[in-house]
Amino acid sequence: MQQQEIHDFLNRYFQANSCPPTEMTSSHMTIQLSEELDKELMNRPFYWHYLEKTGGVPNPMKLTLVTNPQQAPAEIKGETIHFGSPRLHQIFASAKKLGSYIRLYESRQGQSGVQVPLLPWLCLNMKVSYQCDRKRDVYESIGLQLINGKMVTSFHERLLQLPLTPRIPDYAFTLSPLIMPRSGFMRIEKMMRTQIGNEDHSWAENARQRWKKDQDLLDHFYKGAEEISESYEVEKQALKEQFEPKIHVSIINGGLFYLTEQAI
Amino acid sequence: MTVEISFDSNWQDGLLSRMENDGPWANWELFKLAVEVEKHTIIPEFDGLQAPKHLPQLTPLPHQLEVARQVVENMNGKAILADEVGLGKTIEAGLILKEYMIRGLVKKALILVPASLVSQWEAELNTKFFISAVAQRKSYVWEKCDIVVSSIDTAKRNPHRDIIYKQDYDLVVIDEAHKLKNSKTKNYEFVQNLKKKFCLLLTATPIQNRIEEIFNLVSLLKPGHLGSEAAFFEQYKKNARSVQDDEHLRELVNKVMIRNRRSDTGIEWTKRHVETISIETTKPEKELYDSISQLSGNDAFASGAFSLMTLKREACSSREAVYYTLKNMLQRQESPSAAYEQTIGALIEKVQAVTTNSKAEKALELIKKIGDKVIIFTEYRATQLYLQWFLQQHGITSVPFRGGFKRGKKDWMRELFEKRAQVLIATEAGGEGINLQFCHHIINFDLPWNPMRLEQRIGRIHRLGQEKDVMIYNFAIKNTVEEHVLKLLYEKINLFEKVIGDLDDILTKLDFGSIEDHLIDIFGQSSSEGEMKIKMENFTSMIQFAEEMKGGTSHAATGNP
Repeated sequence: MQQQEIHDFLNRYFQANSCPPTEMTSSHMTIQLSEELDKELMNRPFYWHYLEKTGGVPNPMKLTLVTNPQQAPAEIKGETIHFGSPRLHQIFASAKKLGSYIRLYESRQGQSGVQVPLLPWLCLNMKVSYQCDRKRDVYESIGLQLINGKMVTSFHERLLQLPLTPRIPDYAFTLSPLIMPRSGFMRIEKMMRTQIGNEDHSWAENARQRWKKDQDLLDHFYKGAEEISESYEVEKQALKEQFEPKIHVSIINGGLFYLTEQAI
Repeated sequence: MTVEISFDSNWQDGLLSRMENDGPWANWELFKLAVEVEKHTIIPEFDGLQAPKHLPQLTPLPHQLEVARQVVENMNGKAILADEVGLGKTIEAGLILKEYMIRGLVKKALILVPASLVSQWEAELNTKFFISAVAQRKSYVWEKCDIVVSSIDTAKRNPHRDIIYKQDYDLVVIDEAHKLKNSKTKNYEFVQNLKKKFCLLLTATPIQNRIEEIFNLVSLLKPGHLGSEAAFFEQYKKNARSVQDDEHLRELVNKVMIRNRRSDTGIEWTKRHVETISIETTKPEKELYDSISQLSGNDAFASGAFSLMTLKREACSSREAVYYTLKNMLQRQESPSAAYEQTIGALIEKVQAVTTNSKAEKALELIKKIGDKVIIFTEYRATQLYLQWFLQQHGITSVPFRGGFKRGKKDWMRELFEKRAQVLIATEAGGEGINLQFCHHIINFDLPWNPMRLEQRIGRIHRLGQEKDVMIYNFAIKNTVEEHVLKLLYEKINLFEKVIGDLDDILTKLDFGSIEDHLIDIFGQSSSEGEMKIKMENFTSMIQFAEEMKGGTSHAATGNP
């Protein structure tokens, strides 16, 4: 992520949270936080708790973020944001938290008399993490049509091409799902498990070999010890945590989308 | 081969409850941002670093990238980075820190460096890596700031220590970590007690052939990994086997230590030109030296081979250095015998008879000829003060530099040297932790006996970023111990041309002990010229033997697979 991308990202994040920057150049921005965002980002629960108790007037903070310290006006004092900075990670986490669940409708207006049917889809955007002493992630977006059970990949990317709205458009109606979201979720999980299971897992085998080597080395240093000491167990456990191959599928976000039949 | 797959199932509960309650639902823009965030933070391959992609303005050298990759991929963030001086360990540590920050694995980090380097680290992390590191100046910084740079001497003192102990650090970086090889020190204890997930120890001095140094440093990184201290020493010390011979220990060292040598990096280094300058002394100077030499038979000094050697070396540096030591020797004795007092008194007379300093004259001549920035290194503070006065008398601007200076003063002196003064006069302790690439002339006014220290000196200017060939002038006074040492160490063993890395190998090959001890033995304990010659021959052939051996075997403990 380059600095310009970070800048755009921040701008969009604050806009999306109804806090458009009050002052902005290409190298910095100042945001008057709303009460919600102050609570979300500024980590001052005592202040808010105090206000609630005393009934005072909330005074959310201003936040100044600098994305290009070389070019920012000299009098600007703010936090320098770069990929990897804790503040950016916090905002990333916040975006994920605030953007976890969604329900949207395709924005196709019908006419009176000719109502447009919208089909229900369950969307899951996932991250598959292959973990041992190293790590690799794969992003996967699956859509499941909750009437006929059709499953498509790159669902999120397809959605980006469609006009979407949070309210059901006029002269449109939604079809009730035949597959309940809970079992839809299970279908996607099952499909993912099968798909991952069929992959080549030599990475895991290699990790186990590295693990064994380190374990042998550790054993060597404890060889002949009369009783198994606590530190040995601690080290052994640490090796397990470091090397044991695991795959974890986490849900980034997802939700329900009601789309026309032609959409996908 | 099956691998356990876990599936995040908590998420769906949130969906169901929102369906029941008809919301709240995210807005489309935030939903899209969340996916974008994930795509940006994904680690697409098992191998390879993320950080360089995010640092377009930084071009790390291949060996630096390789070190960072190894530490992240193979060493689980616990490593001793032992590159030779001047290969950019700061860059390596910065890359690793950045990588972990990008992966979200490090939020809070503590960087402990020599006082003179605090500002430099802070600046480099901020400008090169965009890491908002803060130099510790106020005590609230420990808690409030995520990435803090401090000197270990500040950090280990209260009130700081107690606050630091309460912090959970994801990463601790320690520069000049060879100072931690002794587990009995306060510094060691302090670092041991820090709460840390990842730890980088930076040192230009590799783990040498001492079992306890290995045990101590590894124990900082992986406490408990070597078994109990008692059992470990019983097993390894009793057999007095060297690290090299034990496959397990060697394997272990390779697991935690990375060392690059200049020759491995494939970088075109500027050359080193070494010139030895023999200096004739004036008669009073020679008399002073000789009268110290004659003391070796003197009973009052019988136990003091060491202080005699010191005096001799000081006599080769300046009369001020000798005088200072003599005065101390006298004060240390509670009731000095008359003979002792008399001997010292006689020496002090000899000191007073000296009115010139031949080395200083030579240095002055050389500095004028060079007409550019010059660093003079001396081992003695008295010499340093004298030289400063002497150069000033001759209209040459100079600044002093010592290890004991506070951080601000060191920065200031460096700056003065860069902008205003022609000469920087540094004592040994000041040699560490200051980078002076803008200068390319060094005068070794006197020589350290420990080759590592010499390498540290040269490393101040012969490092990445030096654009010119480096000139090294070694001063030695004719027919003195200084000349002998120079001949032995720096001519017979060719120390200057070989960068020190080769010597590490040699030293680790043999269970050698410190070179300094050997030198003291050779030059201090020998009762005759003949004995000295034989010992020197021995020493040289030991080193040559080791060199030959080295040709045949691989760079065991220091090499990387």
